Amino acid sequence: MSALSLNETEALARKAARGAGLPWGLAEETGKAVRWLALRRLPSLALLADHLEANDGRAYAALAPEDEAGVWRAPSGRLCPLVVGCALLDRRHDLAGGRTVETGPVAHPLLLLPAVARAVDEAPLGLAWEGVELWVGPEGLFVAGDALTAAASPWSRCGPAPAGPPSARSLPVGDGPVPVDEATLARLAALALRTCVPASEASRKGAGAASGDND
Amino acid sequence: MNREAAPRAGEPPVLRAPETVMRLERLGANHQTRLSFMRALLRRLKAEGWRVTRPVWEIDAKGVGRAVYVAEGPTRSYGLVAFAHDLPDDERTDRVIAEAWDATFALFDGVPTAADLDRMAANVPLQEAGRCAPSELVLSRANRSVRLFAHVVDRLARGLQPERAELEKVGYLMRTTAVYGNGKFGIADRERIADRPEFAGPFRAEMLAVWLIRAFTVDLAEHAARMLAPGTAVRLDPDLRRRLGVGNSTGLGMAPFLVNHPALLHRWLLAKETALARVRAVEHAAPEAAETFPRLVGRARRTVGEWRVADARYAGRIARLEDDLARLSSWLEAGALDGPYPFDRLYRRAEEALSIEAQELLVSLLLEPHGGLVDDLAETMSADEEAPARIDGRMSLADLRRLIEDRYAWALGVDYAKAEAQARFWYVSAEKLEPRLGERGRESGHELEQPLAVGRDVAALRRALGGAAGTESVAAFLLRHPEHRHVVRRVQLHATHPYAEIQGNLIDAGLVPLDLLRCKLAFFGASKFDPRSDRWLRITMYQDAPYPDELDRLPADDWCWTPAG
Repeated sequence: MSALSLNETEALARKAARGAGLPWGLAEETGKAVRWLALRRLPSLALLADHLEANDGRAYAALAPEDEAGVWRAPSGRLCPLVVGCALLDRRHDLAGGRTVETGPVAHPLLLLPAVARAVDEAPLGLAWEGVELWVGPEGLFVAGDALTAAASPWSRCGPAPAGPPSARSLPVGDGPVPVDEATLARLAALALRTCVPASEASRKGAGAASGDND
Repeated sequence: MNREAAPRAGEPPVLRAPETVMRLERLGANHQTRLSFMRALLRRLKAEGWRVTRPVWEIDAKGVGRAVYVAEGPTRSYGLVAFAHDLPDDERTDRVIAEAWDATFALFDGVPTAADLDRMAANVPLQEAGRCAPSELVLSRANRSVRLFAHVVDRLARGLQPERAELEKVGYLMRTTAVYGNGKFGIADRERIADRPEFAGPFRAEMLAVWLIRAFTVDLAEHAARMLAPGTAVRLDPDLRRRLGVGNSTGLGMAPFLVNHPALLHRWLLAKETALARVRAVEHAAPEAAETFPRLVGRARRTVGEWRVADARYAGRIARLEDDLARLSSWLEAGALDGPYPFDRLYRRAEEALSIEAQELLVSLLLEPHGGLVDDLAETMSADEEAPARIDGRMSLADLRRLIEDRYAWALGVDYAKAEAQARFWYVSAEKLEPRLGERGRESGHELEQPLAVGRDVAALRRALGGAAGTESVAAFLLRHPEHRHVVRRVQLHATHPYAEIQGNLIDAGLVPLDLLRCKLAFFGASKFDPRSDRWLRITMYQDAPYPDELDRLPADDWCWTPAG
């Protein structure tokens, strides 16, 4: 078991997401999302590793909603929650204004939550998938149901929250280092390494001082 | 002289345009100012009566061991833990790929116990290869300036003071080669300390660590002299000692920071530009400011006279700067501060007649006698980076297009089809994750380019918007074109953060990466920029500043311009 700082957690998630093929902007949002989950002691890095590996090699278009009218569905049959999360965040004014977005099958739906939480300004939002109801507002985060870490859900829904926090358990914000097991670390590091250029003598030479340092 | 546009008292000050301020050439001509982080830190330490003690000094005759310096403030204490090592010359390199150093350091949150020290002793000397805990706020290391360190030790051991000229030529006994903060290698995230007044400003913990490291470098040299010749060794004369700062050696690792923190960059430049505007809006120079200003220019000329560099291009720049400062002095002798809006007129005249290097030095000098007017701005240089990171998906593509055309003319005017406009690419090497700059076409790895080519990517976004319906929303566009997301965020941020973007092509054949490094280091408060290639820079920090044991009796903030010798 290791422990990462939040900054390391975010950086690893961002690089791994980029290494797995997400465009830079989505990789940045993924870093923020995983940091958000880690701060709340929710499954974070391990969940991301599962998700990125499952979608490795798939094109963006196969994982994104084909059409935003009606129920959102992916051509591959299963939406990427990182893509859907960003789309919800980008539509936060619509959501605050009363819009509800419904989706078909979506992978690792917990990865939707950080984007929905970041989408909240004043009006609380509700997020649900099979077996889980979340209430996300300025007062905090409340959850009913146990399927938080489901590998997939046949549906999800995001829109204005029902009035008042539900009588469900609230999720606290933690602090300090984020525990992560070595296997997860190795899986994400392998993805992150894809963003790096292999070391070479020529590359090493050009990066330093033209003179020596022993003066 | 055109005085119509001079800001009048009571009117909002006029800020210099981002198109002027954010050009690479000018960013790379920044000098330290009153708002620089090390200066703001020392002002606070002095005002709050911080005390520094050295409860642990366990260094042996070979100069190996550990020491602890504790800085105690009104509510909290911090411990700089120093490990001194015996480093063979052939292992000494300032590069990030180094694996051993002359000394390694951590800034501890509180006063470390013996158990803390033992834990750190197993990790801090390994730097990136070790693992720190959230009780550590900063991780750093330093290498000796070999010849000067040996000279100082040799002279002190013989009961003599070092040669002043030798000492001033280098200006430090050790160079830090990295100063890590914010969660790197397991140390505390910035959140842990961001709400403490002493660390609310950017990089304050890092600057505190470096100030204490400076004291350690001198203590270590005095210790070595004493070990060599206990009967004859003397301590360094306090005035000579003050001429020693602490060096730093830096490469490209620092460059991406300014691009990756646009909201923060905006706050830094906005504070500096606001300070300048306030001074330019002064209708009549206060008698004290009018009196001290010419003397200040004299001190700055001494500082510049001591600024020695190996690089021929930089040497030329400095020679021109010396000429320009001589002209500035002659203007002052001829009564340049007489009449209304003297500082505004002086700045305008400099803009017409002097080099950019001299113009920016003048900006620093103009702020200098106006602490009461500008020092509050040092507390405005942090940024909430989360709120502006959210994209406004409601914005229409027509509005996004207008924003790009208004704010990114510098990026749209480049023909990226030309090889020289895309000659470089930024990448991260697998070797210690070092950021590097490659030559496109000649080096492999360009497909792994980092997203630092903002100008090119904004131009590509503008092209992609070409055919899109103007009424479509950014949200809808990004769902189809996620590859533009990272620049849409920047463009939107620019609307409220006009100093957020470096206005230059960061992959151009003519890019001088030094400009990026110098800009950041000047905001830290560094001086004596000494390029060792187009992407490698040595600097001096805290030269002439009070040491911890003299902060209570010396001014905290009168050290950045060389005192009369």
